[in-house]
Amino acid sequence: MFIQVLLSGIALGSIYGLVALGFAVVFKATDVFNFAQGMFVAFGAYFAVTTINLLGLPFPLAVAAIIAASAALGVVIHIVLIQPLSGRPMLSVIMLTIALSIVMRAVIEILYGVQSRTLSTPMPTGIFLVGDVRISQLHLVAAGVSWLCMAAFGAFFKFTSIGLLMRATADGHEAALVSGVNVKVMNRLAWAIGAGLAAIGGLFLGQLQIVSPELEHIGLLALPAVVIGGMQSIPGAIIGGLLVGLIEQLSATYISPKSSDILVYVLLLAILMVRPWGLFGQRELGRV
Amino acid sequence: MQDKKTEQRGLLRKRLLAALAAGTLALSAQAQFESPSEGVYKDRVDWGVMMDLSGPASGSQGIWTNGFQAYVRSINEKGGVNGRRINVLAEDSRFNPAQDKINYEKLSTQTPVLAISGMGSSSSQVSLAPTIRGGKIPIVGTYTHTKPLSEPTSPLVYGGFCTYPEMAKAGVGYMTEKLKVKSPKVMVVSIESAGGVEYAQFIADAVKKYGGTSSLVTMKITAADVTPQVLEIIKQKPDFITIYGVGNTAILTMKAMHQYGLKIPAFGISYLMSPQIYAAIGPEAGPNYNVISCFTPGGADQSAGNKEMMAAADKYNHSAMKEDVNYVAGWVVGQMAVQALQLAGPQPTRARLVEAMSKGFTVNSNGLAAPIVMTPTDHAGPSRFRMIGYDYGAKKYVSFGEFADYEKYMK
Repeated sequence: MFIQVLLSGIALGSIYGLVALGFAVVFKATDVFNFAQGMFVAFGAYFAVTTINLLGLPFPLAVAAIIAASAALGVVIHIVLIQPLSGRPMLSVIMLTIALSIVMRAVIEILYGVQSRTLSTPMPTGIFLVGDVRISQLHLVAAGVSWLCMAAFGAFFKFTSIGLLMRATADGHEAALVSGVNVKVMNRLAWAIGAGLAAIGGLFLGQLQIVSPELEHIGLLALPAVVIGGMQSIPGAIIGGLLVGLIEQLSATYISPKSSDILVYVLLLAILMVRPWGLFGQRELGRV
Repeated sequence: MQDKKTEQRGLLRKRLLAALAAGTLALSAQAQFESPSEGVYKDRVDWGVMMDLSGPASGSQGIWTNGFQAYVRSINEKGGVNGRRINVLAEDSRFNPAQDKINYEKLSTQTPVLAISGMGSSSSQVSLAPTIRGGKIPIVGTYTHTKPLSEPTSPLVYGGFCTYPEMAKAGVGYMTEKLKVKSPKVMVVSIESAGGVEYAQFIADAVKKYGGTSSLVTMKITAADVTPQVLEIIKQKPDFITIYGVGNTAILTMKAMHQYGLKIPAFGISYLMSPQIYAAIGPEAGPNYNVISCFTPGGADQSAGNKEMMAAADKYNHSAMKEDVNYVAGWVVGQMAVQALQLAGPQPTRARLVEAMSKGFTVNSNGLAAPIVMTPTDHAGPSRFRMIGYDYGAKKYVSFGEFADYEKYMK
């Protein structure tokens, strides 16, 4: 039983890690704590319903369209809403992202109605049996794809010239600007990547259960993940996601489903009090 | 002689004129009757609805609201009730008792209504029960049933959905007989809510009659995975399970059980019957999933009520919802509300409405449900059931027997 729960925790945690990674990319690049990240997950699931079930696109093309549409949404939101607030107090930007999530939910309900939607994809739904342990094929695919995306992003960030420019921008906007980096484009790219990663998470979550605006709540579990792991740390966001997934499943099994909320957020509070830069983040020192 | 006839004609004319004047006065009084502090105006009556329209249960409660509004709209198109159209003020609770408290106060005083229908959150019902029972606004057709609001019987509260105790009796009785189990071992899979706890107790009471046992496993309403719950099911090895919650609860449970190779029969509460749920569960796991219901889903039969509802749904662009039991339930509560308003007469007030309903009335939905009988001491609502499944090949609902066949389980 323990191994079963561990595996489902890792699978779920991988999806949280993917969404948390998107959150961390946005925060690292633009200093925006994006409360609408959960709705990007929901939008990803609804884009999946539109491209796969309503338009009937071939699955690979549909996935490309989902990622492209989500990335475009991220860019538009940055240009129209985030960029004009650049330099404003953090509270204003946070309030904007909260309002944005409410607006996005309303848009979904207007476009798709209040009913939940079923997402049917060619992804496998069977199980592998390894001894007494049953491994869901969908869980395996979700975890595998999540890790692939995270690895691909890591490689992009570390080994490509655009990745280097993004890192430079994240480290210091002014210095990057002076060095001739187009900071606006880098920030838009960060939002595009953040939204795209959330959409992939939405695709899997929509297939695991049902597509509804409530996916936002699941997506918002990325917030404690990223705070626990370290808001400025890309590996930290991934590890934070895994931790949240594991805590959720283990506590639901051995204590009660409601206890997972307590444990996740108690850990969050403990991290904020003892190590506010997160498990893998770096302490920021300012010189006077 | 001639003078006498003239005198008689004059007298008759005077009497006729007096009668005409009295009648005109009475009519104009009715036509002029208003009670704005109770939502009654010359040309309309304001009627409140409190449901989750954008929260975790909006997938079912939003559809219920559409069904309710559809019936009311169909009545308004025919001239309304006693010359007044019914204006539905729907307030969104977001499945949050605190929000429902705000909504109730709003509908009581700020935008006052004659009555309220819906109240979809069991937690809200529990927290608002003292306020409602001590107040003046009748609740006509509750979406869910909770003891604090419904017991003891109050002249202010009338049930509008399948009653849980009878749901449990009918479901457990049918499954026990169908599976030929002597002492059934039953598991309740439920979301964490006041209603879920109550439902588990009703199941326990029903199972006890057959010498069986029951247990409860819960999950979050927004759960993404139910591996822990399914592992508990594997451990307990129940003869059958029953599911309480929202659509996601049934989908996750049935899909996870299928993944684990479990073919345990399951029945969901009446709310969990919709084409989307069956589509999401899929034809591999779907045959193991049935629903115990007091309503007949759209298209399941050719009754007059079913045809009327289906036609209205198509007319009002609700075609995608007409097979959802929640739409049917909303429609039937619309019928209940309209009938109650008719009983209240041409000068409706909250007090008159309560007085009229408390004497007892019967709602005939023309086949969408068994007749709903409200007596002075029983306001529970629809309480006759049958099990309904889904034929994936024919793509339609199938009912197992008639309502009358399930009477034997109610004793």
